[in-house]
Amino acid sequence: MSSALLTLADSRLPAGGHAHSGGVEQAVAAGLVHDPGSLAAFLLRRLTTSGAVAAGLASAACQGDDLARLDAEADARTPSPALRAASRQQGRGLVRVGRRAWPSPLWDALPAAPHHPVALGVAAAAGGLTPRDAAAAAAYLSVSGPATAAQRLLAMDPLTVAAVTARLAPDIDAVAGNSTRSADGSLPADTDPLLDLLAEVHSARKDRFFAS
Amino acid sequence: MPPDHDLDDYVDPYEHGHRHGGPLRVGLGGPVGSGKTALAAALCRTLGTEYDLAVVTNDIYTTEDADFLRRNAILPDDRIEAVQTGCCPHTAIRDDITANLDAVELLEARHPGLELVFVESGGDNLTASFSYGLVDVQVFVVDVAGGDKVPRKGGPGVTASDLLVVNKTDLAPLVGADLDVMRRDSATVRGEKPTLLISLREDPAATEVAEWVRAQVRARRLQQA
Amino acid sequence: MLPVVRASGQLAVRRTGPASVHLVATAFGPLGGDDAEVRLVVEEGAVLAVRSVAAAVALPARDGDRPSVQRVLAEVAGSLDLRPEPTVVVRGAHHRVSVTAVLAPGAVLTAAEQVLLGRSGEEPGRWTGTTRVVVDGRPLLHTTVGLGPGAPAWLPPVAPRAYASTVHVGQAAGVLTADDAVRLPLENGWVATAWGTELHSVVRAVEAVA
Repeated sequence: MSSALLTLADSRLPAGGHAHSGGVEQAVAAGLVHDPGSLAAFLLRRLTTSGAVAAGLASAACQGDDLARLDAEADARTPSPALRAASRQQGRGLVRVGRRAWPSPLWDALPAAPHHPVALGVAAAAGGLTPRDAAAAAAYLSVSGPATAAQRLLAMDPLTVAAVTARLAPDIDAVAGNSTRSADGSLPADTDPLLDLLAEVHSARKDRFFAS
Repeated sequence: MPPDHDLDDYVDPYEHGHRHGGPLRVGLGGPVGSGKTALAAALCRTLGTEYDLAVVTNDIYTTEDADFLRRNAILPDDRIEAVQTGCCPHTAIRDDITANLDAVELLEARHPGLELVFVESGGDNLTASFSYGLVDVQVFVVDVAGGDKVPRKGGPGVTASDLLVVNKTDLAPLVGADLDVMRRDSATVRGEKPTLLISLREDPAATEVAEWVRAQVRARRLQQA
Repeated sequence: MLPVVRASGQLAVRRTGPASVHLVATAFGPLGGDDAEVRLVVEEGAVLAVRSVAAAVALPARDGDRPSVQRVLAEVAGSLDLRPEPTVVVRGAHHRVSVTAVLAPGAVLTAAEQVLLGRSGEEPGRWTGTTRVVVDGRPLLHTTVGLGPGAPAWLPPVAPRAYASTVHVGQAAGVLTADDAVRLPLENGWVATAWGTELHSVVRAVEAVA
């Protein structure tokens, strides 16, 4: 493993992630997340659906698959307009910092505001990482951001939240390990309609702290 | 440091001050209730006829400030962008400026002739300051009602901002604040950097602040020429 | 022109109208280990409605824990309306269904699915459904939903027994949200999903946002 992976998955990398709750803000508003157990359930839902999809896309992008095709596959796996916008916004942010952190001609093949997992795969490749590393970063980021958001919104004990995230490590590893394409060549497409609903209700609100 | 290290290899050639063209970006920061939005509104009214301008708002919760600017028809809708800051208004202007850069770039793309952008931070505390990756100059707004000790207490906003504005001077007699003390303390902690004591109630055009902004626009044009 | 039909194995096909066919199960099931494939071709200018005569009841394998599999492959240049009766997945069964629709430009599609985990008073079975819609060579929608015990995102407090989803291409519609139901826009179409405890109310909910 290269330590570039640590930089890529660091929540302090200024790529815009801190303003996104990954659905947690609306889940808290709906009463679905209110304590460490319900937070763990929410994070698992997210990890095994959008996290798995992100890991698959990031891994394929890192491997050098056609990026426009992957971006279209990401769209097809993200029918919620709010989640699409959130993904493209974070993709754009990652490209902005990634281009400067890891200069590479690989960036030039990306669309203007790519889906975040696709940008993440390119960042991994530009940073000299492997597709499995890209998948690990995508899987980890699918829970680390929402965990921090929950901690802020519920004023939870940060040590408790850190413990929840740390204990998800085997699940994160499993998602990253399964991220490579299935036998028929298709990428993961797992989805959770609940997250789509939460995202759309959230984006229609005017009183929100988080962009998504 | 081993001698075979070339430090230039570590440094990204794109740095603050190397951004060419585009509008002057002015940060407006300061504690909650000090009058950032009122100042932004005043500057838009005063400067809106002179410059092609736009505003980014960073409310910590709700889009109230953006709505205020819209409601008062100070700027058309397409010249105001609101960003969410994930419970951390401070992070969004200093540590991870992504959302604000997106908003500024969106406004620049929408209005190619843009000359001036105000980025109004969400109300925070005295330690808040803008990254110079986001803005070219920053104004820190405090008010008299916060007590005349504020300038002495310092903090990066008070000491390092390019302009310190002490607002609501009309309230000084009511809250027992000594404006001379504030003026003197500001000069002590800020050195050569300017401080303006104003009252938006008495001067809704924010005349002196607007004049300072004009000087910054001129300076940037000279520097870019 | 009447539809051309051909079938073998566990499904029979009956022409029930000038532009409609019904799928008829010829045996109990599907059973775990069964693998059924339905191919539909709707040529330009043609209209086809596909229904089934009764709910399918997915049962566990007699030996082992193999899932039952059903694959629907549709090539559509005309108009296809695919609305089978619900699938009930009994305790211990795992039913995997995939619908892949490849549409030519201008093709019209409505594809609905309704799922109930467990018969009345029974523990839920497991269902995995994948929908992929491609229009003019571009992927429009590709989602996999997993329901039932063991499905990774089927976790309390949101672990529904009943689920319904409809995807439509042909006429655009925007976002619509309701309690446990959501409609999402697709280019020139939409996808609506609802979930809950009782199938009849979930079906009503999906129709309300469709």
